[in-house]
Amino acid sequence: MTSDSPIIRLEDVSFSYGGSDHPALDHASLDIASGEFVGVIGPSGAGKSTLAAVMSGAIPHHYRGQLFGAALVDGRDTCEVTLTDISRIVGSVNQDIDAQMVASVTEDELLFGLENFGVPHEEIPARVAEALETAGIADLREREIATLSGGQKQKVAIAAILALAPRVLVLDEPTAALDPVSSSAVFDTLRELNASAGITVVVIEQKVALLCEHCDRILVMDEGRLAFDGTPREVFSHGRELRALGVDSPRVARVSNSLAEHGIIAPGAPCLSVAEARDLIAGLLRGRSGVRAGEKNPAPATAAKPEAPDAGPAAEPVVRFHDVSFAYPGSRATVEHLSFEARPGEIVSVIGQNGAGKTTLTKLLNGLLKPASGEVVVAGLRTSDAPTSRLAAHVATLFQNPDRQLCKDTVLDEVAFGLELTGVPADEARERARAVAERFGLPLDAAPFSLSRGQRQMVALASVVVMEPDVILLDEPTSGLDYRECMTVMETVREMAARGCAVVMVCHDMEVVSDFAERCVVMAEGRILAQGPASDVFADEALMARAGIEPPQVVRLAGELARTVSPAFAGITQVSGIVDTVEEMVRRD
Amino acid sequence: MTSVIDYVPGSTLLHRLNPVTKLALAAAIVAATLLADTYALLLGLLALTFALAAHAGVPERLARLLKLVVPLGVVMFVFQLLFTHTGEVVWGFVTTDGLATAPKVCLRLMGVALPLVLMLTVTRLTDLANACVEVLHVPYRYAFTFTTALRFVPVFSQEMNAIMEAQTARGVEYDTRNPVRKLTLMLPLCVPLLVSSVGKTDATALAAEQRGFYLRTRESSYRRYPLVARDWAVLALCVALVALAVAL
Repeated sequence: MTSDSPIIRLEDVSFSYGGSDHPALDHASLDIASGEFVGVIGPSGAGKSTLAAVMSGAIPHHYRGQLFGAALVDGRDTCEVTLTDISRIVGSVNQDIDAQMVASVTEDELLFGLENFGVPHEEIPARVAEALETAGIADLREREIATLSGGQKQKVAIAAILALAPRVLVLDEPTAALDPVSSSAVFDTLRELNASAGITVVVIEQKVALLCEHCDRILVMDEGRLAFDGTPREVFSHGRELRALGVDSPRVARVSNSLAEHGIIAPGAPCLSVAEARDLIAGLLRGRSGVRAGEKNPAPATAAKPEAPDAGPAAEPVVRFHDVSFAYPGSRATVEHLSFEARPGEIVSVIGQNGAGKTTLTKLLNGLLKPASGEVVVAGLRTSDAPTSRLAAHVATLFQNPDRQLCKDTVLDEVAFGLELTGVPADEARERARAVAERFGLPLDAAPFSLSRGQRQMVALASVVVMEPDVILLDEPTSGLDYRECMTVMETVREMAARGCAVVMVCHDMEVVSDFAERCVVMAEGRILAQGPASDVFADEALMARAGIEPPQVVRLAGELARTVSPAFAGITQVSGIVDTVEEMVRRD
Repeated sequence: MTSVIDYVPGSTLLHRLNPVTKLALAAAIVAATLLADTYALLLGLLALTFALAAHAGVPERLARLLKLVVPLGVVMFVFQLLFTHTGEVVWGFVTTDGLATAPKVCLRLMGVALPLVLMLTVTRLTDLANACVEVLHVPYRYAFTFTTALRFVPVFSQEMNAIMEAQTARGVEYDTRNPVRKLTLMLPLCVPLLVSSVGKTDATALAAEQRGFYLRTRESSYRRYPLVARDWAVLALCVALVALAVAL
């Protein structure tokens, strides 16, 4: 019970679920000291959630399977104490926000645990008030949980655990369903708890930039084992190995790692923030010729994108919004005067905060909503005249949650289903489906629901690709996917675009947007604020601030370098662009 | 986005009654409605329900529900006419006895549905569960199961909507005007809905256990639900109401 003994200790823990003989966790050993802030990252299926379940006692008490080794929480073996007793020390917050709620009003949600654990009734009001205050949701006390946003709900879940005064918080992808602003807010809350209340935090997270910013220590998991364990700087100096595992690095870390690989700087600890990278590069280039000289170096900025938008204007737009307005009945949510076009072969990204009207725009596009005024024309069909099911032959939508579009018993039936619906003969549909599913390496006869989350998304993607539609609509195509799956999805989308498909995507991940989109439509409060080439849009700081969007790291870095070091950095959106520009300047002398 | 059974906050007398008393009141109105045999009493009970809703400030909620119940009532009305063969034939299959009983069946349906929904509208589910545990000695796990089921209704209906939208966007004709076709198309959706609901309930069970569900006793609740004078008064009125229905 002394403070220097680890609060959680895993001794050679292996676990395999139910009938599976493949271990989800494979000889994992680690100590977590009291007061640490630990991030866990790794590709899908690496055993991250299993690790969290072992720490919170859900394994062995809730999930069935075979457990070897020992997990000690506060010095006691989790097999020998009840789940309830483990919960007094370890509080856990899960991915599915709705499922972990037990009450319909915020205050009752907090009371539930306090009442159960027998906290003396005279202490309860203070505990509730304090937990709400710490989570920053004192104003939500009387609110119905069903009316809260995702970010607010996640904070309620955290507050409900906080009220119980746990010594450890284990969170399994708490920001998976949140936009960047709410994600940062959740992490700020965790940081605060860790710093002021001394609560140990273990958080599974896919957003590397957030992990770097907040964690003291990062665990990288791969195939049930701990691949790396160290400070963010130590871990991300292995950028190349991480990439091979399917784990992304922050873009600024990639910049410094790549500079080291090119022999420009000595290999070592990578940069973790834009400011660090700026100072590093400014230091490298200080006193060089070309700096401050002002000649623009256009090559790197465009080299990264083979399909320059010049080819676009020649083709007729396949999607056209003309002054479209729509209001939901009985709600204040509206979109007004939306006008934009998408041409074949073009990838257009719609960006903006939650509630900006992006989802409404997508539903107007695929015909789920019909415009109240103005018109939407897709592949020559006015959506107000054509039934949604007929539009489906031209617009294929990939939804954020693949489980909502899967409904067949086998992968093959699932992929062929969309084609059959649009009247393609069954034989031909199955033939085309087979070809696409095989190209994606999907098991044809497996039941879609038995596959992993990432593979289910691939099945959904295959059913979109097989349609050979004129327009592909993507709603958060990368959420819940690991880096490798994310790249597979986006590369496929890029191929579809190259074959003449117009792509419209809604995406919170600005790195993905800046890597793949040629044009951006920026939305806020139901209106389109601006649209234009992605690099121009991201470089416009006033616009980004107005839309509440944080531009990707490389764009921010390029902007700062262009201002303080050399205008040659202006407009660069890719890591390689920064590195090439720096290299050229360094080598010139 | 609000569903008909969502709680509407307020501080009226009806809101402040003990949840068990409200349950008894709704049960009394339902019982009286089932026992009543005169139009005057049936209409009077419906009027009472609406008066209570107006007092609690939720009449528009009941009006919304009425829109759902009236079509059902019409169906019942037609069935009653179809299946009542006694009495003199007025026209086709319509008999005098049918005409005499059908409107009552229709009114009873509304009289049963509305008070229960009204009760849920003015009571927080958590309070209902806790009060049932404290006053009626219902085991907590049953109360929890019941309130969780009710709480999941809007969650699942949202899920169902999202699934239908996803399927429509794939080309399934949910926008068809043929109701039979729509229903046959909806059946395959049970799979995704079932998968997501099983996952959700399992996650809820784990979350509840990790917050000490099994430690909960009758004394756990922070809020206490004693029956006070106004509750006894209303309970007495409930008995009187049922007695009135029996007498008339």
